[in-house]
Amino acid sequence: MKRKLICLALSFVLIFSLTACWNARELNTVGISLAMGLDIEGDKILVTFEIVNPSYTQKNHGGGDVGPVKYVQGIGNTIFEAFRDVSLKFDRRILISHNKLIILGEDFARRGLINQTDQLFRNRELRETAYMLIAKGAKAYEVMGINNGLEDLPGNYILNLIRNKRDNPKTVDVRIMNYLRDYYLEGIHTVAGVVEMIDRTQIDETGKDMGTKDKELTVIGAAVFKDDILVAYISGNDTKALNYIKNDVKKGLITFPTPKDIVRNRKSNLEDKHLSSVLTIKVKTKNDVEIKDEGISLKSKVKIRGTIGEVIGDIDVYNEEEFKLLEEACSNTVKEAIKHTVEKVQREIGLDIFGFGLIFQRKYPDEFKKIKDNWDEIFSHADYQIEVETNLIRTGLIDTPINVD
Amino acid sequence: MISKNITSNKEKLIKAFNNSSDFVAYEFKTRADIKILICFIEGFVNKDLFDRDILKPLILELDGQKEIKEVIFTPKIEEVDSIEQVKNEIIFGKIAIFIEGNTNCFVVELIKWDKRSIEEPNSEAVVRGPKEGFIEDIEVNKVLLRRKLRNNKLVFEDYRFGKQTNTKVSIAYIKGIVNEDVLQELKRRLEKIDIDAILESGYIEELIEDSPLSLIGTVSNAEKPDIIADKILEGRVAILVDGTPHVLTIPRIFVEGIMASEDYYLRPYYSTFLRLLRIIGLFAAVYLPGIFVALQLYHQEMIPTVLLINMAGAREGVPLPVTLEVLFMTIALELTKESGLRLPKNVGATVSIVGALILGQAAVEAGVVNAITIIVVSTSAIAEFVVPGLIQGIVVYRFVILLLGGLMGLYGVACGFIFITMELVSLDSFGVPFAWPIAPREWGGLKKDTLVRLPLWKNIFRPKAIEKRNIRRQISPWRK
Repeated sequence: MKRKLICLALSFVLIFSLTACWNARELNTVGISLAMGLDIEGDKILVTFEIVNPSYTQKNHGGGDVGPVKYVQGIGNTIFEAFRDVSLKFDRRILISHNKLIILGEDFARRGLINQTDQLFRNRELRETAYMLIAKGAKAYEVMGINNGLEDLPGNYILNLIRNKRDNPKTVDVRIMNYLRDYYLEGIHTVAGVVEMIDRTQIDETGKDMGTKDKELTVIGAAVFKDDILVAYISGNDTKALNYIKNDVKKGLITFPTPKDIVRNRKSNLEDKHLSSVLTIKVKTKNDVEIKDEGISLKSKVKIRGTIGEVIGDIDVYNEEEFKLLEEACSNTVKEAIKHTVEKVQREIGLDIFGFGLIFQRKYPDEFKKIKDNWDEIFSHADYQIEVETNLIRTGLIDTPINVD
Repeated sequence: MISKNITSNKEKLIKAFNNSSDFVAYEFKTRADIKILICFIEGFVNKDLFDRDILKPLILELDGQKEIKEVIFTPKIEEVDSIEQVKNEIIFGKIAIFIEGNTNCFVVELIKWDKRSIEEPNSEAVVRGPKEGFIEDIEVNKVLLRRKLRNNKLVFEDYRFGKQTNTKVSIAYIKGIVNEDVLQELKRRLEKIDIDAILESGYIEELIEDSPLSLIGTVSNAEKPDIIADKILEGRVAILVDGTPHVLTIPRIFVEGIMASEDYYLRPYYSTFLRLLRIIGLFAAVYLPGIFVALQLYHQEMIPTVLLINMAGAREGVPLPVTLEVLFMTIALELTKESGLRLPKNVGATVSIVGALILGQAAVEAGVVNAITIIVVSTSAIAEFVVPGLIQGIVVYRFVILLLGGLMGLYGVACGFIFITMELVSLDSFGVPFAWPIAPREWGGLKKDTLVRLPLWKNIFRPKAIEKRNIRRQISPWRK
């Protein structure tokens, strides 16, 4: 009995002294940060936090008219110094474990990330799954306050824009851990998401204010890094092609010229080119690299499974031949678009953002060791071939297009 | 021992009963001029029958030749030859008849006293199933049990405990099904009892259980004959105690806590769902406040963002640290429960109104507590009632887990979980591991009648931990 008691007492002492979750923080002593902006201001780093004002959730209980967020800024020679500078101006400790968005000002990104962002990965609180976005042509804090969505919190508005990639692959969703992983890999160059401020036509219910301009955000396109330095942006369509090659497309739209474009019905006003579109359900891409006598050849094989989204033109989807024509036309368009993008990247940027280098490395490890320093050069002159196969599995609710009687 | 002179017997008895006012000693002569003394305790005896069946025949018919059994027609007549024994019989409500010149005393049972009628017990109400419950009278309880198990192998063995109370205790089991080891162990422990009073079966429970210091008892109890019959049929032993409707059964295993008699009367799917619900309820009741506090204080990153923001909003302006807040609310809840139970029924409505204020909107609006705390605390309070057999353990454990969570975060909760589990698996009930069939694990027990309740025709065997020899319950109807 005595031994038992001693054991029990000892184990309690050990529980308390050896280890425990430490650093208890009451929720009403912290400010929850949802988004973080990093900028260069003069020579120093300017950090902007979007802090949720939790009282806004209590509106029903007389919380008053409080805005949902507050912005606080800190400045310092390093990121950590800037973080600590915030505490001189803001009353609560900032909780960044819910920070799901890191927005980098263009200046900041052009100065290179690796030499500045060590703290982001060393900090035990910060989420490595936070999305990384580049504020195109702007400071990070300029885009941070804009909210044109229904979300109360501007941070969530941007977050949901990124997540909408599943419906429209014209953007990328890069988390900081993905970024760091790609940075250390040889044979691929990193890309990051882009957020851009654009003008928006204000539409008022009364119609009075038509024409006045307002700002909204878009995440179309992607930013290309050479090592850790921002060098270029690519357009939305190129980003889409990039996602196709990276096998990272869920639901996306493919619009292409209708193959059998004779309209029996003359009521149609569209005269020259009629378009149809396909909604992809699943896209599977296999890439390959081969060494040939004349140089290196890159290959992609894309398999698309989709449904018909719209058909304008004389196609009877119940006719197998015409249906095949539709599939073929879709394949051709995708083929052209991807080929166009790859060639454009080879020509204009000259960086392998698609990851062909990774495949090369896996397939010919010894050769890669020799050429890895000028892989980008080799990539830019490589020959690119692509095969696309489309398989449409659903036709939608109507058979003949509505412009055919 | 019994004197031929009834006057001396009378004096002895009156002395033995210390002139107690309810002791009646009636001396008279029959027509044949035989002196007779009748002793009994007033109130224990059915007076109409006493007049008709005892007094009248004795006075009219008893003469020198006739035996007393030829005069009094009742099967329950015994001859007793010591004054001590007579005393004991009188205490249990029997009528003692002394006849002048006879060294024997005749004891007749003609008991009638007021008892509660058989009702549905409050604590074990069912939608489907028998509504009758045990009452305070042990003889009635025996009948109720015998009516469920009309079987000559059902055995009652009577004991008397309590030097002052002389309480009747009876153990019941089915010969051939009962685990003999458990039965012998029980008898051994019962024989050691030497106490002055047994007022409720809880006394017996505490005196015979394996681990008297553990938070969860290793003897279970029920108020309904169908539940007790089912347990006896699984090889257990029941202990009936006079004066209480709560009948004990041993051995007890932990999973009995998540079972209910209704499980066997409803569809197996629904019963299985209910079992899962009770397991969730059990965990929520013990761990929910602790985990809530731990997450909110130490592991904010584990809470979904929107929920965290709502929680932070609710916390704004609440003066107390969250651990104390939850602690106070839990105590307030226990107070409401306890006072709701103790208050006279006509004041009960007041408690429910006041309780709703303390644990409700008013407390939130006053800014003393936040709404989410109330939801958490009341959820765990509701959850505990789905496992009524384990409430006594749950309430204490909940406080322990709450404090551990507040002091050490999820690490503390995990430590608490380990300690609780260690205690549960270390318990034994009369040689049967308390945590069976979870530890020691037995798949057969787990999947047939623990986590899921298989259809009756699938449940061929009795739980193996309790009875090892005669385990077959039925032959599957599909094999016939």
